[in-house]
Amino acid sequence: MLRFFVLSSLAAFSCFSFGQNLLIKNGIILTVTKGTIPKGDVLIIGGIIKQIGENIPAPEGIKIIDATGKYVIPGIIDSHTHIALIGTNESSEPITPEVKMRDVLNAEDTSIYTALSGGVTMVHTMHGSANPIGGENIVLKMKWGKTSEEMIVHEALRTLKFALGENPKQANVAGMGTLRYPQSRMGVNAIIRRELSKAKNYMEQWDRYLRAKRSKNPPKNLTPPRKDLRMEQLADLLRGKMVARCHSYRADESLEFVSLSKEFGFKVACFEHIPEAFKITKELAAEGIGISIFLDSWAYKVEASEGIAYNAAYCTQKGILVSLNSDGGERIRRLFNDAAKAMKYGGLSEDEALKLVTINPAVQLGVDRIAGSLEVGKQGDIAIFNEHPLSAYTRCDMTIIEGDVYFDRAQYLKEREEMEKKKKEDELKKKGGKK
Amino acid sequence: MKISKSLLFISFIALVFFLTASSSARVGPTYAIVNCKIIPISGPPIENGVIIIRDGLIESLGPKEKVYVPEDAEVIKADSLFAYPGLIDIHTNLFLEPAKEEPQRPGAIEAMAAEPQAPDWAKQVDSSAFQLIKPKKSDIENFQKIGITTVLVVPEKGIYAGQSVLLNINGDKKETMVIKNPVALHINFTTERRAYPSSLMGTIALLRQSFLDTEYYSSYKSQFSKSSRGQKRPEYDPFLETLSQFVIQKKPIFFNCQNQEDIKRAVGLIEEFKLNGFITGANEAWRVPGLIKKAKVPLLVSLDFKPPFTSIYINQSEELKEKAEKEIYPANSANLYKEGIKFALTSHGLKSSEVLENIQKAIKAGLPVEEALRAMTIIPAEYLGVSDILGSLEPGKIANLILTSGEIFGEKTKVERVFVDGLSFEIKQPPKEAKPSALNVAGKWKAAISGPMGEMEMTVELMQEGNAITGNISTEMGKWEISDGLLTGNELTFTISATIMGERMEIAFSGTAQKDSIEGILSFSGGSAKLKATRIPDMDL
Repeated sequence: MLRFFVLSSLAAFSCFSFGQNLLIKNGIILTVTKGTIPKGDVLIIGGIIKQIGENIPAPEGIKIIDATGKYVIPGIIDSHTHIALIGTNESSEPITPEVKMRDVLNAEDTSIYTALSGGVTMVHTMHGSANPIGGENIVLKMKWGKTSEEMIVHEALRTLKFALGENPKQANVAGMGTLRYPQSRMGVNAIIRRELSKAKNYMEQWDRYLRAKRSKNPPKNLTPPRKDLRMEQLADLLRGKMVARCHSYRADESLEFVSLSKEFGFKVACFEHIPEAFKITKELAAEGIGISIFLDSWAYKVEASEGIAYNAAYCTQKGILVSLNSDGGERIRRLFNDAAKAMKYGGLSEDEALKLVTINPAVQLGVDRIAGSLEVGKQGDIAIFNEHPLSAYTRCDMTIIEGDVYFDRAQYLKEREEMEKKKKEDELKKKGGKK
Repeated sequence: MKISKSLLFISFIALVFFLTASSSARVGPTYAIVNCKIIPISGPPIENGVIIIRDGLIESLGPKEKVYVPEDAEVIKADSLFAYPGLIDIHTNLFLEPAKEEPQRPGAIEAMAAEPQAPDWAKQVDSSAFQLIKPKKSDIENFQKIGITTVLVVPEKGIYAGQSVLLNINGDKKETMVIKNPVALHINFTTERRAYPSSLMGTIALLRQSFLDTEYYSSYKSQFSKSSRGQKRPEYDPFLETLSQFVIQKKPIFFNCQNQEDIKRAVGLIEEFKLNGFITGANEAWRVPGLIKKAKVPLLVSLDFKPPFTSIYINQSEELKEKAEKEIYPANSANLYKEGIKFALTSHGLKSSEVLENIQKAIKAGLPVEEALRAMTIIPAEYLGVSDILGSLEPGKIANLILTSGEIFGEKTKVERVFVDGLSFEIKQPPKEAKPSALNVAGKWKAAISGPMGEMEMTVELMQEGNAITGNISTEMGKWEISDGLLTGNELTFTISATIMGERMEIAFSGTAQKDSIEGILSFSGGSAKLKATRIPDMDL
C-alpha cells in the first residue's frame, strides 16, 4: 500500500542530504534542448549533472541505474497547480497580496507523491483564482519525505497571482450569503487599478519620508508612514521584485490587463489558462508574455467556450512561450499525455511538445539555469519512462531529484505486494488464533 | 466620665485584632500530615515524613523525627500514602462553557461594500477567561480526582482567543481561586468564518500586520509623548492598546500549535517580533526537535494524542491511523525527553476523564514517571513565573499537595486527598467493584415531585451505559441535564443541572430503582423534595 512505502521513504529521507551521486546508464536520452542520444548515460555528482554522453565510466561506489530501453527526460515542471498547501484562497476580500503560500505549506500532501509518479519534479503552487489580486505563490521541488523548507526553490522568480473573469467576479465567501465587490469584469479591472494606485501613493509616502530622513536637516518629529504588508507586496510588484501571473480567459480582459501593466509599469510573466490566447498572439509576443494552459479542455465555462485544442501549438508557432499545467493534483500525473496532444493538434515536433512541460515552464518561472533540460551544470532532476514520454502507452517508472530517487515504480509495487502478503498472513494468524 | 485603663486596653486589643483579622481572609486551618512518603521535587524523597500546613502555606516538612507537630494541628494519618505537590495543568478549558454555535444566517444577502468591513477578530483580544468561567462542583471534583490543584484556564475560540487566568481549585467561588489574572494572550492558528481572514494564509498575514501595527502604534505614542506640540495626536485603538502589553511590554503570548508546521509558524513570529512566546498543543513537537532546541521557546505539550488532520499518518489507511493514535503520537513526550527538551504536560483537548489514562500511555511509551511529574509541577510553575510559591513541596510555598495511595500515575493509584491553599478535600472513591447492574433504568419516566414548592409533574429520560446514568428532565422551566449518574444494584444517584429563573443550581438525587419505578430524595441548597417516578411504557409514546 501507499502508506508503507510512504512511511519508509519518509524514514529514509528524513536526514537532510545535499544532492546525491548517481549514474544512469544506457538510456535513450532526450535532452529537450540539445538533441537526443539514442543510447547514453547521465552522470550526476552532488546533485548536479556533470556529464551526458555515451559510455561514461562509473566512479567507484556510485549508485547505478540501468535505463536500458528506457527514455530519460528532464523532470517535468508543472507551472500552475495548488498542491501541498493548506487552503487555496483568501476569498473573504478581493485584494489579498499580503498572503503567502510560503506560510501554508503542507509537505505531507500525498499529491506530492502522486506528482512524482507522473514524472513531475518541480511545481509552481499558487493562490486560487477567487480574488482579482491573490497572494504570493511559491515554487517547490517534489522532495517527498523532506521538510517543507527543504522543498522551496529559492532561485525562482517571486510571483503574484492575479485573476480576471468569472472566477473573481463570482466568488463569495464560501456560501456565507455575502456578495463581495466586484461582481463584474469592469469591477475586477477597477479594483485592481484602485489598489495599484493606492500602492503608488504608499510608495510615494515612503519615498518622501526616506528622503526627509536622509536629508541634512530632517524635520523635527519625523514619523514614518505605517508599514502595510498588503501595500508592500504591490510595491514590490511595481518595483519589479515580483512578476504577475494572471488567470484570464477572454482576449478582451487579457488585453485590458496588458494595458494596465504597461500603465503601472509591472511585468506580466504569464497568462494562466487563457483559452483565447490564439486571438491575441501578436500582442502577447510583443510584450514577451507567456501562457500556461490546458491542452484540450474548453467549454467547461462560458468564458472558455471559444477555446480550441490548437491553442498551444498555434501560440508556440507564433513565438509565444507556452507551458502546460495541471491546475491541481489530478492532471499533474499525466502532463506528458497533454504534451503529446500538442503534436496531434497543431503538429508540434517531439522536442517542441516536450518543451511545453520542461524548459518552457522553467523559463517562465526563472529556473531555467538550474532545471528544465538535461544539460551539464543543471540540477539532476530526471524522469525515466518505459516508452517514449509522448506515447499513449508510456508510464513513468522513476523520478529523480538532484540525484536522489524519490519515486521507483518497481520498488513501490514490490513493497505493496509484500504488504498485501503480510496482511493476509496476519489475518490468517488471527483467524487461527481465534479458533 | 473616666474610662478605665483596662477598658481602653481591651478595646485597643480588640481594634488591633479586628483590623488584622479583617485585612486577611479567614485564617485557614492547621494540619499535620503524618507518616507519608514525601516527594518534594525540590529535593530527594523523604520516608516517614511529616508535613505541617498552616493557614494556606506549608509551614514545615521533613522526616518525622525532625518535624514538630503543633498542638493546634488536626492530625491526618497518612500511613502508606505518598505526598506530591499538587499538579499544575497549564492549558485547560476548565469551567469554560462550550461556545454556543452561531446560528447560521438563512441565506440573507448583506450589503455589498467596496471597502472591507470592521474586523471581528479584534474584539476577542480582551476576552477574559476570568469573566467567562462558571465553576461547577462536578468539574472541580473531576480535576481534583486526578490530583490537579492548579489550572491555567485558556479561552478557546478565535485567532486572538483572549487572556487566561491562573486558578487554585479551592472551591467554587471564582475570586478566591485566582492566583494571577491575566496570565497570557492566547493565539490560535485558526480562521474567521464570515470575514477576513478566512484562510490560514490570511491569518498569518494578519498576525504579522497586527504586530507591526502594534510596534508602529507604540513608537508613535512614545514619540508624541516626548514632544507633543506640532504633532497630530495618536488615535486611540483599544485593540492595539491590549496588544501593546504583549508585543511591546513582552507579557507572555501562547501560540496554540496543532502540527509541526504551526510550530514553525509560531517560532517564525516569535523570532521576528522578539515576543515572549510559548508554544502549546504541540503534539507534533517530536517532528521538529532541532527547531525547538534552537528557538529556546517554552514548550507545553498536550496529552491529546489525536493526530492533526494534516498528518501523513492518518490519510493512508485505518490501520496506520490507529497506529498513529495508539503508538506514534503518544510517544511525543518520550521522544522530546530523549532529545533533552524540557516541556510541561497539559490536558488541552481532553476530557478530564481521559487525562490520567493518557499520562499513563505517555509513560508506557517511554516517558519516565519522574519527568511526567516534573512536567506537571515545577516546570509549569517556572513557565508561569510562580515557582517561588508553587510547583514543589517546600516550607513557605502554598500548601497545594495531594496524597495518593501509590506512586503517582500508577495504574492502581488513587488520589485520596487533595490540599489546595491549605484546605483539605477528601476525594470520594467510586464504590469498589461496582458490578454492572442487572437492572436497566433506561427509558422515559413520569416523575411526581412533592416538596416545598408543591407538587410538580415532569418527564425524565434516562440513558444507561453499564452503571453510568445520564439523561435529561423536562420541566415547565425547561429541559435540564442529568449527569454523573450511578446505578449500583438498586441504588440510584445522579445530579440535575437546573436553571431556575436564570440561576443555575445543582440538585442531587439519591434513591432506589426498580424495573418500573424509581423513588428517592432530591436535595438542593435550601431544602429537599421527594421524587416518585413510574416508567412510561414504549407503546404509549
